[in-house]
Amino acid sequence: MTGADVLLLALGAVAVGSGALVVLTDHLVRAGLYLVVCLGAVAGLYLVLAAELVAWVQVLIYVGAVVVLLLFAVMLTRAPIGRSEDLNRPAWPAAIIGGGAGVGLAVLLADAYRWVEVAQGPPGTAELIGEAVFRTWVLPFEVLSILLLSALVGAIVVSRGQR
Amino acid sequence: MEDLKAPSIDYAAVAPILILFGAACLGVVVEAFVPRRARHAVQLTLALLATLAGLVVVITQASTRVTTAVGALAIDGPAVFLQGAILVLALVSLLLMGERKLEPGGAFVPQAAITVGSEADERQAARAPGLTEVYPISLFAIAGMLLFVAANDLLTMFIALEVFSLPLYLLCALARRRRLLSQEAALKYFLLGSYASAFFLFGVALVYGFVGAVDLASIHTAAAESDRDPLLLYAGLALLSIGLLFKTAAVPFHVWTPDVYQGAPTPVTAFMAACTKVAAFGALLRVLYVGFNGLSWDFTPILGVVAVLTMIIGAVLAVTQTDIKRLLAYSSIANAGYLLVGVLASGERGLASTMFYLVAYGFSVLAAFAVVTLVRDADGEAGHLSRWAGLGRRSPLIAGLFTFILLAFAGIPLTSGFISKFAVFAAAMEGGQTWLVIAGVISSIVLAFPYLRVVVMMWLSDPSDATPTVSVPGVLTTAALAIGVAMTLLLGVAPSLLLDLTTGAAEFVQ
Repeated sequence: MTGADVLLLALGAVAVGSGALVVLTDHLVRAGLYLVVCLGAVAGLYLVLAAELVAWVQVLIYVGAVVVLLLFAVMLTRAPIGRSEDLNRPAWPAAIIGGGAGVGLAVLLADAYRWVEVAQGPPGTAELIGEAVFRTWVLPFEVLSILLLSALVGAIVVSRGQR
Repeated sequence: MEDLKAPSIDYAAVAPILILFGAACLGVVVEAFVPRRARHAVQLTLALLATLAGLVVVITQASTRVTTAVGALAIDGPAVFLQGAILVLALVSLLLMGERKLEPGGAFVPQAAITVGSEADERQAARAPGLTEVYPISLFAIAGMLLFVAANDLLTMFIALEVFSLPLYLLCALARRRRLLSQEAALKYFLLGSYASAFFLFGVALVYGFVGAVDLASIHTAAAESDRDPLLLYAGLALLSIGLLFKTAAVPFHVWTPDVYQGAPTPVTAFMAACTKVAAFGALLRVLYVGFNGLSWDFTPILGVVAVLTMIIGAVLAVTQTDIKRLLAYSSIANAGYLLVGVLASGERGLASTMFYLVAYGFSVLAAFAVVTLVRDADGEAGHLSRWAGLGRRSPLIAGLFTFILLAFAGIPLTSGFISKFAVFAAAMEGGQTWLVIAGVISSIVLAFPYLRVVVMMWLSDPSDATPTVSVPGVLTTAALAIGVAMTLLLGVAPSLLLDLTTGAAEFVQ
């Protein structure tokens, strides 16, 4: 077992554990903070697998933007923060489905790959991905950007309604 | 840096898809620049012309058998046939959508973003002309369906799935009457649909894990030759099938169907019942017959159980319905079961009979929903079955046509319903799937009951005060209804016209 394996296992355990805590806790804000830990651990997994850019994007977008958005939504809609009794529901259906899916997938993948060594690709550095996006695929990338921009403008126009 | 090489694309073969996408984009531009007054006529003409042009191109290359765009698309017999079928059925659906005589302004809401029940909503409900965006949105959906039945690798298939699903979610929310019901239907469809898409995508990931590629030919080779444990491949196929069976409305992935069919504007319901079925079964056929045909011994029993459940549960629940659109929805679920029997019959016979069934059912269901749009009172369509009592006395012609359609659904000889059920069951017998045929025949008998109940109600009850009048249909609905009924009769009397076509087209390329 190499150092990378140990790190992968440890980060995986952190991700799964904090993921479970997200759904088990009945404090909404704590759930959001556990989500930060969970997503951060996943970013760590990417780093160990040498996918540098994906890891930082994960931190920026998911840990940064998405969780902040979530916490803001909580803050704006349920101002008195604390234990939410309505979140305290029986856990067993979720446990069966989540546990079943998780164990099932683990068995499936373990069975499929056994002890096959999968060669690791070249490290996903920012340079490599930048080259792919801004040289090879620059046209689709730019077209997509314009499409997203026009969708954004369109959404604003539609939601403002007719004056 | 290596030179970029443009992939070689057989533009003639993919022309129908390009025409539809191009017309859809043009429709968006029309929406921006053509004055409001003229938009409806321009958009409807554009949509009909584009569909017609696509159909003409499909017909001119009926004998094309190629894979193109680096193997991402297969334009072969089934793809060309199903594309033609989708275009013809879409043409009829567009006629239904374009109708503005029945209700001032058409079946669609003028401003979907206005809050239901607000003052502005009451003002717009009165007379404002309906949204004309529905035509470009439908064109996008049709183009996505054309792509879906020709997709030769799983990723292209996924993209096509999203391209035709997203417009459908939107269309469901645009009913002019009972807007909350319509929006609820759209939201349900959207949430469950994205769930199903996620299943499909997860299936793609697992299959890729086993095969190392996503194109169907490689999957076929790997399934036959790989000496690894195929559990991963089975799991991938199971998840893929869930995603596709959701779109076909097979039990146990059918729960969205009645709510969505009831809530959506009736022309859109007709469009979904006819065209989405063709597209979804087209993709299912391709995945099962091209990619996974080596595993047919393994998946046939499981999908067989799904087919039996679909037929029986669809038929039994149809008996309990009191709303005409929900009844047709459950009948559509049961019909998905019969289609699955055809799919599982495997071989050329199975393929040909399934394709015949899709077209025959599509025409009948379009005609049925066309009648549903006609039976209405001041509050819109009269959906509740009790209000159809005595319709035969009030307007014998419409009631007669509807009776004919219902008899076709029930599978009475001399209608296309009989021929298509017979073809599917015969193919299944030949394929050795007798148990499916037994379940199919039993469920057909059960399913005949709700149809006949409606017929009896229309002709043998006395009309009450609640019986609505039948509106005089405009030219467009008349045309749609006439085409639907005529094809139901024609395919029942002279099925060989279409059967020869499907048999000739029943071979996939890899």
